[in-house]
Amino acid sequence: MSDSVSVTIDGRSVTVPAGTSLWDAARELGIDIPVLCHSPRMRPVGVCRMCVVDTGARNLQAACVRPCEEGMEVRTDSDRVVRNRRMLLELLMADYPDPSAREASTGDDELLALARAYGVTSSRFEGSRTPEAPRRDASSPVIAVDHQACILCDRCIRGCNELQHNHVMTRSGKGATTRIAFDLDVPMGESTCVSCGECQAVCPTGALTNRALEGLHLVEEETP
Amino acid sequence: MTDTNVSARVVESVCPYCGVGCALSWVVDTGRNRIVEARGRDGAANAGRLCVKGRYGFDYTTHAHRLTRPLIRREDAYPKGALSWDDRGPRRPGGPVDPETVLPHFREATWEEALERVAGSLAGIRDRDGGDALAGFGSAKGSNEEAYLFQKLVRAGFGTNNVDHCTRLCHASSVAALLEGIGSGGVTNIVRDIARADVALITGCNPTENHPVAATFMKQAAAGGTELLVVNTRRPAIADHAAMYVEIRPGTDVAFYNAMMHVIIREGLVDEAFIAERTEGYEALRDNVAAYPPEAVAELCGVSAERITEAARLFGRARAAMLFWGMGISQHTHGTDNARCLIALAMITGNTGRAGTGLHPLRGQNNVQGASDAGLIPMMYPDYQKVADPEARARFEAFWGRPLSPSPGRTVTEITDGALEGAIRGMYILGENPFVSDPDVEKVRKALARLDFLVVQDIFLTETAEFADVILPGSAFAEKTGTFTNTDRRVQVGRQALQPPGEARQDWHIIRDIAERMGLPMDYPDVAAVFDEFAGCTNSYASLSHAVLGSRGRWYPCPDPEHSEGEPIVFQETFPRGRALLVPAQPSPPVEPTDPEYPLVLNTGRVLEHWHTGTMTRRSRALHAISPEGFVEMHPDDAAAYGIGDRDWAAVTSRRGTIRVRARVDDRVARGSVFIPMHFREACANVLTHPAVDPYGKIPAFKYCAVRVERVAVEASA
Ligand code: SF4
Repeated sequence: MSDSVSVTIDGRSVTVPAGTSLWDAARELGIDIPVLCHSPRMRPVGVCRMCVVDTGARNLQAACVRPCEEGMEVRTDSDRVVRNRRMLLELLMADYPDPSAREASTGDDELLALARAYGVTSSRFEGSRTPEAPRRDASSPVIAVDHQACILCDRCIRGCNELQHNHVMTRSGKGATTRIAFDLDVPMGESTCVSCGECQAVCPTGALTNRALEGLHLVEEETP
Repeated sequence: MTDTNVSARVVESVCPYCGVGCALSWVVDTGRNRIVEARGRDGAANAGRLCVKGRYGFDYTTHAHRLTRPLIRREDAYPKGALSWDDRGPRRPGGPVDPETVLPHFREATWEEALERVAGSLAGIRDRDGGDALAGFGSAKGSNEEAYLFQKLVRAGFGTNNVDHCTRLCHASSVAALLEGIGSGGVTNIVRDIARADVALITGCNPTENHPVAATFMKQAAAGGTELLVVNTRRPAIADHAAMYVEIRPGTDVAFYNAMMHVIIREGLVDEAFIAERTEGYEALRDNVAAYPPEAVAELCGVSAERITEAARLFGRARAAMLFWGMGISQHTHGTDNARCLIALAMITGNTGRAGTGLHPLRGQNNVQGASDAGLIPMMYPDYQKVADPEARARFEAFWGRPLSPSPGRTVTEITDGALEGAIRGMYILGENPFVSDPDVEKVRKALARLDFLVVQDIFLTETAEFADVILPGSAFAEKTGTFTNTDRRVQVGRQALQPPGEARQDWHIIRDIAERMGLPMDYPDVAAVFDEFAGCTNSYASLSHAVLGSRGRWYPCPDPEHSEGEPIVFQETFPRGRALLVPAQPSPPVEPTDPEYPLVLNTGRVLEHWHTGTMTRRSRALHAISPEGFVEMHPDDAAAYGIGDRDWAAVTSRRGTIRVRARVDDRVARGSVFIPMHFREACANVLTHPAVDPYGKIPAFKYCAVRVERVAVEASA
């Protein structure tokens, strides 16, 4: 078996070490495949399916976890791929809170940015609204939790367990009631959380945000 | 929701707190001159990670307590005494010094008047009593440039080597042992090299609280197969990730490591080639540790002979082993001996100069390494050139154009003694708070009150400033640009993000203005030029400049900074002193053993959310909210024996004083020991600590003194 493989992505070919993901190979070519769950700082888990690409296989493949194979021909922006992403975004937007705490403060909500990029302005689906009481957790002095904005991308959980190695965060529940949780599902402020803020920093949505920014809307100055 | 639009600028800087040196960006609200958010940057030490202090602890900068104008003590505020010191105990909520209690004793002054007063008073003492009647405390929170200028002012302007800083209180003994053993005080391998170690000995430190982001890389290494051997007297959280945790009795480190070396030698786990080629003194070391079989020290250390043997085998069999240590090693009267043992342990097993090996004393303050490199220590000029060496002195006399004192200066604790005896008459203290940080604060208080003249330059009114004749408002970390050298020897630029409030000034400008008024010109166009002068009188920094450091920084040594990040691993072929010197050490009894009257051993340290004397962190909204008050941590059995429940108020008494503090009952501490964090002035651990110092490093024994604990009713505690 050879140590490197060559693939063609959107008509351009690239040679990468064997085992490289399609997402990383595309990055080599300067092609940004959209993601929500993946971050180059983390182990890819392929849960959000936003990074799906067309490899000619029966199903679309999640680029962040799919390793390159010799001779693979990949489309990252075919109609089929775009339709798929739109559908996903519509589903995610169905019960997404407006305003999102992240969009309102730092303006960098990644889900909303993708929805805008794909022209998803409304959703045909009726989301299940989480009732107010368990929706928000304001028990941490530094991080606001809004479960309604959580898309279960697992970034916070990997940030907590695999970057900072604090092992506080997890998922709890199942099916539609799955939520991120702290320790044995206690409020964040009562958990063993050490407030490193990694979860808040890596969260792509308004689910985990910096409480100090509540009520502020940052507009970054152009750097000269 | 009414959102306020904030025009924000992003400034790349580094965290102002600990020696890990995390790179970050600040989002600055330019209109209101404040930081609104900190974001991790992909720095060499942190890979985007931050801890609670770096992420949420920046807002002290804009706290209402900031000093904004020079202050001069009022005529009727003499004789001097502590002004806010009695605001403590259970009836006060605690918190930092309240300016309301201090400001009435001072009047505002112009910079002109204040600087004239400072320079005139210091020059007056110098001219009347000689330079050695003056002393300066700099700070390991200051930049390399500030440290360099400060020591230059003291040496060339005051005419004395009486200049020191809080490294004396942290790692002076480690540095003494490292200079003696290998000829350099820096770390040999960077923290993140632990990923390539088979075994890492982590001893006398609590990295998850004190070096939190470094700890994430230790835990990551453990998850990837590095076996952690954690040795401590109080269970640190990193022990949860350890292959083996060994709890030794306080103060028995030398016996424990001698026994480990005994086993390693007896079982042939030494690296004979390394010993032969790169060390000297092996026979003496071997003969010394021959007297310490595990069976002989087991009872003293409180660890079975089998466990000691197991630890020795774990370490001795590793192909690559790394050693990390902290204040639990250095802050003892035998701190230098403790560090000598660790150095010898690394050397006889051939564990330096390769990937995943080496000696790493974890540095506390963000610039302990740099401040020492810059000469903020009484016996060395920049780059560890000895003041007692006539050649080095001649070089610096020519360079600075002033005659220099040939005698090594006094250390922090010796300066305090000098002030008490009347030998030190005037002091300049920049950014340190010895009133809370030094051992036996009642003694420090008397010493400060005896000075003829004291100028304190800081950003807040500290307990130390209460004794000042003149207080000068300096700038916070985010208000100035300068370089900082982290625990990995990584030199990084901290960039100015904010303007100093009111009339507060950049610290290097204040040092310059005092120097010039005392007849020592300091004419630099900008702070980068100060760096260039400092770098020019060293080997380690010679190739570096602000421009080449850029936004990522470099590890020194870095012969080719255009193309290289610098050296993450040093001494691969040889040590600065040639061969490593193995120095045998014998255990010594504690200066203050426990007895029926004072039956418990007091250990002091830090908590995750706070920094040293709390002047910064206790003024951060988030950090104060998470950790509002001090505590004395006791083992459940001891607590039961003394009738103390969790959160009860307790009086802790040593031969030097008493403090009142809430109890926290927790089996992290061993039976027979208690732990008190140092940050809380209303429960000031250093009222209790013993001022005895290590004979080599002159470091105080913060980790060991005898105390008793009694329950107190709040009402009866007035
Ligand atoms: S680990 Fe140290 S340098 Fe890093 S963010 Fe925390 S206090 Fe700052």
